[in-house]
Amino acid sequence: MYVSRIFNSLQESVQEQYRMELLELNERTKEYGLMLTPQDVDRLLAARTEVLYSYGRVELSMEVTKELIDVFSTSPFIEQETYADTMNELHEIFYDLKNETEDRIGDRQLLHRMKEWFDADCEGSLDLLKGKLDQYAEKFRRELTKKETLHEGGDDQCDLTI
Amino acid sequence: MRSDNLRERAELAVQGSIRKSRLHRHPYTISLMNEGLRAGLLTSQELMRIQNGFMQILQELIQRHTRGESTSVTTDTAENILASVMYAADAYLFSFEQPERAITYLKAIDIRQVYTRGVEKVSQCYEQSKQLYKEIRATKLDVPVDAYNMTIDESLPIFLRKYGIIFDAHHTMASIDYPLAMDDMNLQGVYYIRQYLERLKLENTFCAMYDPQALLNLLTDYGRVCRFDYRIELYNMYELVLSQAVFSVMSGGDALDVRLSENQYLRLEQQLTALTEAGIRSAVTEAIVSLQRHLAIESQHKEYMDGCTDELVQRVAHAAKHNSLRTVILTEKEAVAKSIVISFSEADRMSDAELRSLLHEVMSCDRAEEKVRLILTRFKSFHDYLDMLESDCLYGDEYVLLFEAFGNTELAILAKIVFYEELRGESLDMTGILEQDNDYPMEWQKQFASSLRGMKQRLLAIDKLIDEIDYDQITFY
Repeated sequence: MYVSRIFNSLQESVQEQYRMELLELNERTKEYGLMLTPQDVDRLLAARTEVLYSYGRVELSMEVTKELIDVFSTSPFIEQETYADTMNELHEIFYDLKNETEDRIGDRQLLHRMKEWFDADCEGSLDLLKGKLDQYAEKFRRELTKKETLHEGGDDQCDLTI
Repeated sequence: MRSDNLRERAELAVQGSIRKSRLHRHPYTISLMNEGLRAGLLTSQELMRIQNGFMQILQELIQRHTRGESTSVTTDTAENILASVMYAADAYLFSFEQPERAITYLKAIDIRQVYTRGVEKVSQCYEQSKQLYKEIRATKLDVPVDAYNMTIDESLPIFLRKYGIIFDAHHTMASIDYPLAMDDMNLQGVYYIRQYLERLKLENTFCAMYDPQALLNLLTDYGRVCRFDYRIELYNMYELVLSQAVFSVMSGGDALDVRLSENQYLRLEQQLTALTEAGIRSAVTEAIVSLQRHLAIESQHKEYMDGCTDELVQRVAHAAKHNSLRTVILTEKEAVAKSIVISFSEADRMSDAELRSLLHEVMSCDRAEEKVRLILTRFKSFHDYLDMLESDCLYGDEYVLLFEAFGNTELAILAKIVFYEELRGESLDMTGILEQDNDYPMEWQKQFASSLRGMKQRLLAIDKLIDEIDYDQITFY
């Protein structure tokens, strides 16, 4: 299959549209004193592509990036000087967490949990946030394994009638 | 000048047409797109539009897959969903007789329509497969062949129940162990299953024309010739029945007879060893045609049967050349009555408590002779003997004493179990097998091999019995 090639060619063809969509978000974030320059957006898009690739994920829309900007721009711990870099790092943290929680938790729920801990427990520290989310993912997987062990065998007890 | 024009025109014609050899059944659409681009029937802009169309479908399906909870998925999941989308597109586009028409269609209509019609095609194929499965169940042969029974009773129903037309259309999630006489592994998903079922139905119908007892006897003979347990091995029954029926016709017998007499064998041997491969092909083909006429085989089945001819001709030609026709042409053999003192009946088995108590008694004996006497007088069932051997209640020379006290038949039965792999299909005798440096998983097996090495005078008789005893006379699992 030429899947990777097809994915990449598609991403290239809509890159400009993504760029516009992200720049439009400045209208909303400027009330919190946060703006992305066209260069910031280009870097953000490049970093996102890199992160998706390195974490083995595919996303055919900008929804997560837009939601990240929407949710985190209200944080009192994000300042204009570090805004673009913080967003880049948050992308990485988010997609890593998606993998570590085995895609069992929805985007919105994860983003809001990240934001809640970022503001409250971690007071804007990305390192603390990563540590906290690592623990969260570990606990989540442990419980998942426990649940799956309890249900083991259920799937194999098949009804042979069609 | 004129010839230059002609050459140019010829080149243009080649460039403008699809080379079917470059198209694959899976992934058909992608190979069609590549070939369309190469032949100039698609522009790169059109190709991009088509790709974008598929990507939009993929995007929607990702949303559906995550129930709208997530916009991203792992690359593996995305590739899997896309492969399922392309499988549906393949199903539709492959239905066009001319690939050029499929390209025209791809160019002209919304990709979503290609996909939707593809899904309809896959659904139809799935429904046909379910119907075929019901027919297979109704025509299933009553034979104790594990792979055949498991495939029909378990694997196929699991596939039909779990098959996902939208997200897993390209998967053939079934452990189908029973091999067909002719299989096309280029197919995937439900198209593979439908073809498997169609062919299995033909095979069942054919085998069902023969007397069920004759079929069972044939399987036993086959197991004997191959020196394996025909119930647990992977082989195709149709091929076996067909070849025997062909040999029957070739030796003047009936098309509905699968058991050949020694005289028929000798006639065939004389005939086949005198022929070249071309002569064998002609004789086999002639017999197949006669069999088809005699049994009123319908056209689809005829085609399938004809497809099996090559393999049969090659097997016969090879065997004729190497003087091993007896492995290909099976003759009827009377089962030899054996004086087996061990019972094979499940009903004679001791209860677990009885067995534990007896094993305790054996282990408390001080003298080896006493242990052996106790075992020989109190153990009746073969299952109990195996349980006893596996319980490690004997030590060193005690094993030798016990095995020496066994009759040749019992030793031959144990040898058939311990040396199953070595005996299977090989022409090695016991002396040859015992000379090999084998690893045995259990202590009693190691001691058994070592004891046999010390019984040189009995090995010839044991070898003979190994050939005579069939695995279906031993129920040890």
